[in-house]
Amino acid sequence: MSASGSPPTKPATRVVDAGNIEFGDGLEILLSTVFQAAEPGQTIDVTTASRATALELPGWARSTGHHAERDWKEHNGNGQRFVVRLRRGDVVPVLGPDLPPPSDPMPLRLGSQFHTTDLISAAPGGIPSSAQPNHGLVPLGAIPETGGPDYAWRLNTHDDLWAEELTDLTERASSSQWDATTDIPWNEAIGLPEEVERAVAQVMTFIASNEYVALYVPAKFLPQVNPAFVDVLMWLASHINDEARHVEVFTKRALVGGQRGYALAATQLSLHSLLQEDDFSSASLLLNVLGEGTFIDLLGFVARNAPDAATAACARLAHRDEQRHVHFGISHVRRSQKLDPDSTRQLIAAVEARAARLATLTGLSPVLLESLTVLASGSVSAAALRQGAGAVKELTKLMETNRIRRLRAAGFDKETSHYLSELHTPNLM
Amino acid sequence: MSAPILVVGAVAYHERVVPIWEVFREYFTAKGVPVDYVLFSNYERQVEAFVSGRIDIGWNTNTAYVRVRHVAGQPVRTLGMRDVDSDWATLVVTRKGEGFEKPSELAGKRLALGSRDSGHAAILPLYYLAGEGLDAATDCDLVRFDTDLGKHGDTGDSELRVLRAVAAGDADAGAVGAPLWASLKGKADPMVNGLQVQWRSEAYYHCNFTVLDSLDSEVSGRWKQALLEMDYNDPALRNAMDLEGVRKWLPGNEQGYATLIEAMAQQGYLE
Repeated sequence: MSASGSPPTKPATRVVDAGNIEFGDGLEILLSTVFQAAEPGQTIDVTTASRATALELPGWARSTGHHAERDWKEHNGNGQRFVVRLRRGDVVPVLGPDLPPPSDPMPLRLGSQFHTTDLISAAPGGIPSSAQPNHGLVPLGAIPETGGPDYAWRLNTHDDLWAEELTDLTERASSSQWDATTDIPWNEAIGLPEEVERAVAQVMTFIASNEYVALYVPAKFLPQVNPAFVDVLMWLASHINDEARHVEVFTKRALVGGQRGYALAATQLSLHSLLQEDDFSSASLLLNVLGEGTFIDLLGFVARNAPDAATAACARLAHRDEQRHVHFGISHVRRSQKLDPDSTRQLIAAVEARAARLATLTGLSPVLLESLTVLASGSVSAAALRQGAGAVKELTKLMETNRIRRLRAAGFDKETSHYLSELHTPNLM
Repeated sequence: MSAPILVVGAVAYHERVVPIWEVFREYFTAKGVPVDYVLFSNYERQVEAFVSGRIDIGWNTNTAYVRVRHVAGQPVRTLGMRDVDSDWATLVVTRKGEGFEKPSELAGKRLALGSRDSGHAAILPLYYLAGEGLDAATDCDLVRFDTDLGKHGDTGDSELRVLRAVAAGDADAGAVGAPLWASLKGKADPMVNGLQVQWRSEAYYHCNFTVLDSLDSEVSGRWKQALLEMDYNDPALRNAMDLEGVRKWLPGNEQGYATLIEAMAQQGYLE
């Protein structure tokens, strides 16, 4: 082909004037758009001012599944033009059905807000109740191309993972983000009496240890969730994000005053047993309802009794996040039991199994009890310690009362709720 | 009785040859014309194996095919080729603004060529340019890049060197295959930014599946039919076909090799 043939007698289906655009400068995009709109077998005359482009057109056509038929030169008022006639091939660039016609735009609120709840409820196709284990990483509403790799997701039933307020909780998580670097008045933590700072460092170390497991448990389940359940993925990701920040903020508070605490073996044992739970709903009961539920009371206690504003702020902000996680857990476990009454037995068995693994734990570590008392006392004077010890006793009672209340809200009867509360780890989480 | 297994020979010019033939092997087996494949490191060894009957079908470059015709001692048949093989072409590129109207203007200049066993980047450029009035072997200062000899230009390495040489001013013009150029332009490779195509050869055939005439024509016919039925829109085949650079297999014939046969004879490749 040398751009020297004679013009055809039959006109092409379409004519494209490429002007001076060359390959690499957008010509391939222009041609791709034109060819995609054409039918297989149709002819398209491409006119260009560039001889080099005319020489390249057959190669482009072949490499994109089309075919160059002939070429010739034309002369008009602007000088010489090169024309190459291409025929559209029959290959489709994407192995899938045609894109559906456009539907109505998605609903917005207050003129400009696109709520996640509306995305989930209004997206075409929606979220299925069950999804194929080999489902690809296909965004909501997207048309999957065939021929992708086979995945093997483990969690493929939406009801096994869902809770009624899930999307709302995710949305709240997004709007409640905070910064562990700038949102805590860290300077307020400096200068506490040494004994008090040591106690605070120990309590903060304990809390940070527990936040690790709250991070690892949802992180362990997330890569098992079928990507068709984007609402669940977004929720778990927000949970993980929250917990990463909790690990950060409590680690910072533990160390900011210069003291260090122990990561207690009893705590490690308790957390290790929580990571061993492989059933999503059972893990939700153990972590969200029982563990994080109990932690809500602990964080509330720290926020009220902290000897400094920095510690109080850490606890208060984490408390706000944990409320969402507990809300999810209660809602999810309640729904699981409602949908499948047999699941109650399985949930109880999970608490029993964990308690059996923790049989050697007899109570909250004395190191931690002592630290909590000093933290609440704000000093080691006798009067202050008496007051602090009283506050810790009240906390223990409050934790038990609220744990039973949450178990009841999660759908367990009164007797079972008492039983499960008693089985809960003395480590609190 | 199970169908006889045809052995296909191919040259391992790249790691992707294995996944391609694993998929093709499965495809042909499912079609009732089972194949196995043997990989060679160079076409000369593959031609030997073909002629001695150790492989039934050779997946040959155009250069290897012409060689096979010459040494087989009996007629050979081509069963099929890629769509891209049916209108291959050689391009001559220069730096932008340093082009020519006619190839004869390259006399006295430096012309870069790819591996000397590459039909499209060395043998045919000399042949076609001679037809345009440029006896490049004597009129030009040839800058040859004889890399990956034995692979007949399949790796593209020598052509990339040709383009780099022209871009760097170490040659005034260079010959490359149209598919490589289209691929570099398609991915907006900066290497070609300062270059432009100045001349394009007529179209010729490139690779093909070759069999000896003695192969049972019923068996080769069924294999050919299965080859032509490969569907680029089949998700199980698309990736392998993309790797092989084919969208559609076409029946083979001899007509597109006439110029290469003449060129190889003239240039002493068939002695």
